[in-house]
Amino acid sequence: MAAYLSMGEAHRRITDYLARFSDAVASQDVASLKPLLSLSSASPSLVSLADALNLLQDSNRLIKQSDRYSQFAEILAPLFRCLQNYRLHNLVDAYPAYEKAANAFIQEFRNWDSAWALEALYVIAYEIRVLAERADRELSANGKMPEKLKAAGSFLMKVFGVLAGKGPKRVGALYVTCQLFKVYFKLGTVHLCRSVIRSIETARIFDFEEFPQRDKVTYMYYTGRLEVYNENFTAADQKLSYALAHCNPHSEANIRMILKYLIPVKLSIGILPKDWLLERYNLVEYSNIVQALKRGDLRLLRSALEEHEDRFLRSGVYLVLEKLELQVYQRLLKKIYIIQKQKEPTKAHQMKLEVIIKALKWLEIDMDLDEVECIVAILIHKNLMKGYFAHKSKVVVLSKQDPFPKLTGKPVNA
Amino acid sequence: MERRQNHHQQPQNPRRNPSSSSSSSQSSNHRSRYRPPNRAGGDARPHSREDPYLDSGDAAAGGRPRSLARPMRAHASEAAAGSSIGVRERQEQHRRDQDREDDRDCRELASVVGTCPHMCPVGEMAQRERLRNLAVFERLHGNPAKTSPELAVKKFCRTISTRDVQLSDIRPFSVLGSTLDYLMSLMNSTPEPFETVHDFIFDRTRSIRQDLSMQNIVDKRVIHMYEKMVNFHVTSHHKLRLRSSGPDSFNISSLHHLNMEQLAKVLTSLYNLYDLNRDHSSTHKNEPEYRSLYVLLCLNSESLPEGERLSLWFRRVPTPVIKSKEMSFARRILRYFRTGNYSRFFSTIAAEASYLQYCALEPYIDKVRALAVLCINNGGYKLHPYPIAHLSNLLMMEESEVESFCNACGLETSLDEQGNKVLPTKQPAFEHPKAGYGKYGFSGLENICRGREAEENV
Repeated sequence: MAAYLSMGEAHRRITDYLARFSDAVASQDVASLKPLLSLSSASPSLVSLADALNLLQDSNRLIKQSDRYSQFAEILAPLFRCLQNYRLHNLVDAYPAYEKAANAFIQEFRNWDSAWALEALYVIAYEIRVLAERADRELSANGKMPEKLKAAGSFLMKVFGVLAGKGPKRVGALYVTCQLFKVYFKLGTVHLCRSVIRSIETARIFDFEEFPQRDKVTYMYYTGRLEVYNENFTAADQKLSYALAHCNPHSEANIRMILKYLIPVKLSIGILPKDWLLERYNLVEYSNIVQALKRGDLRLLRSALEEHEDRFLRSGVYLVLEKLELQVYQRLLKKIYIIQKQKEPTKAHQMKLEVIIKALKWLEIDMDLDEVECIVAILIHKNLMKGYFAHKSKVVVLSKQDPFPKLTGKPVNA
Repeated sequence: MERRQNHHQQPQNPRRNPSSSSSSSQSSNHRSRYRPPNRAGGDARPHSREDPYLDSGDAAAGGRPRSLARPMRAHASEAAAGSSIGVRERQEQHRRDQDREDDRDCRELASVVGTCPHMCPVGEMAQRERLRNLAVFERLHGNPAKTSPELAVKKFCRTISTRDVQLSDIRPFSVLGSTLDYLMSLMNSTPEPFETVHDFIFDRTRSIRQDLSMQNIVDKRVIHMYEKMVNFHVTSHHKLRLRSSGPDSFNISSLHHLNMEQLAKVLTSLYNLYDLNRDHSSTHKNEPEYRSLYVLLCLNSESLPEGERLSLWFRRVPTPVIKSKEMSFARRILRYFRTGNYSRFFSTIAAEASYLQYCALEPYIDKVRALAVLCINNGGYKLHPYPIAHLSNLLMMEESEVESFCNACGLETSLDEQGNKVLPTKQPAFEHPKAGYGKYGFSGLENICRGREAEENV
């Protein structure tokens, strides 16, 4: 608290920070530089620095007192303002100040030949996003239009541009890309990911293999999720599986996040996870859905979707899971077929629509003849069933050979 | 026809200081970006598109969200000693000034309040009279060089430099409200062809949004205005479609496309307004219906190219809206569309759709009909031709239209032994009907319209 802080002590703290900053830059010591920029860490030293700044109110004078510090005035002055605002819980003003400091930092960064400060840049990219998120929360809470995160996105784009060149700094581009993904996902402006993805994947200066493993996993996770939203299941499978395979095996939380999206993808291409996997990673919301697919139990699918509706909607997999309905129908009809085959093998390939209606009634689902015929027609159209339906006799005639083709890792035909 | 906005226009914001160091402007990004040498295959730096946080009609004055004017902050008096208060105040004021400077690129001028008392500023009226640039609705007794305050409506102007704009050119909220009502009244009351009416209202409502945006009016009052504008665009969506065959069809189909674009923007702004003005996590009266429209417009996820995928869009819909009757309808329609359940698709629309909802999903109706005909043709038993009468009930079409539709799909119909019309199955020549092939009705439409009239009379 300011009341217990003397002016002299405030002075000392500020000068101390200035010294550490300029020393870190002079000796290219990124490990010492990082914590000086890491606002959200709320480290005791930054907190006490902020108190000092709020007491002194005239830190500019201290910055200007020596060339050692004043050369970084463009970075330090706004950074101090940011700290002051942050300490006073004024995120809405803290963010633009940090952005200004960050902007000045990247101007310096551009001039440094080697990539020594890359990790400090990562800290800045992270802080920009996190500060902007909090500022927007504050704005919304006060009935104002949230706009800082959008600004953060623009800023990060700029940082990306700085890193997107030949030279050692380019390996940082993927980290910034991932921060951008997080921003766009949060804002819902996911279409903006497209152009930065194109840059990473097509520009010749980038070699995907050169990027740090951790960033590659994050990148594949997000691009995999995009493929899920776009319902490109083959691509989604590829990317999410890559992320899973290269993810740190001890990082259970990350594995869970990847599986959360990979499982609906696998289900859509006909691959069911084992129960132990769902339990191991606490993804039991999918258990009933898997059951429903195994049993052809449409009622179970619908109730599972309803039970976890909110969760599935929020993660964005609801629509994917809903579409599994067709595979459940397929399974149900296959079961009827198997039963008929046991009773009367020669007549098994003919299925009366009435029988299907009855089976659905047992599952407490009401369907009229028209709808059953419609479902049958659709299953045939999508190659989930082979055969034809006879409208007048209200019968489905199944092909004698493989009437219920398996999906074998390919999604259901559009 | 007036000049249309380029599909990929970057937002312009001349108010911004071009030397600003902030990155929050997308256009200034271009100027201050570092350009590394040896770029392969074009720019590796992405171009951000305009984000319709608050639709301002895409004018230079907007395309970006603006914060409301910042409230004055109370002085923080920390020092106990009185003698240092003056210095401290000055220092804090300095810091606040710096904060404002920091924020200057995220912030526009403080809210302005327009003073133009008419639907059109006097200056513009005089100028357009001189230039004979008056729309047919603005002409006094048909005179192309004369208008009046009761007829002239301010045009949308893309290249407004907000630095130069006069308060007397901006219409205050009350004038905007009555302007909008006047425009809406034109929808059904003029003998002009619909495209002309649409064009006029399209442009003039865009100008209304521009004025709203410049005055930063984002509170509850505006919600109803945006809802009316959505009504206009959705109804146009339907009416333009009806007119998109014949000699004018190319023109009209581009009108249709632009209308869809604008509709998406207005809807997004409306949703932002709902979010911004929400109290106690309840919903606004019409919010469920207006939210449901987005789902119905996007049944096929490619239809709004910049539109958010529905999976992502649903994430941010408040739970009371998700559980509403209107949204439940839209989600079921979505499910039937995606799984191909044509049977329920049509019966549900007939039973539950409101007029606006019907208009929004109308373009998909024929697509699903085509799917149904395709499935029946491919999967139906050759010796059991499908009765047209049955198809007519299934697809909610008159029998004569069913026949013509089948023909448009490249299929022939015939008669069975009893003289009933049938569709023989397993015909090899199915093709999807070409766009603009013809307009088919919907058997339940009169009921839907009757429901709408009842709503409007309330």
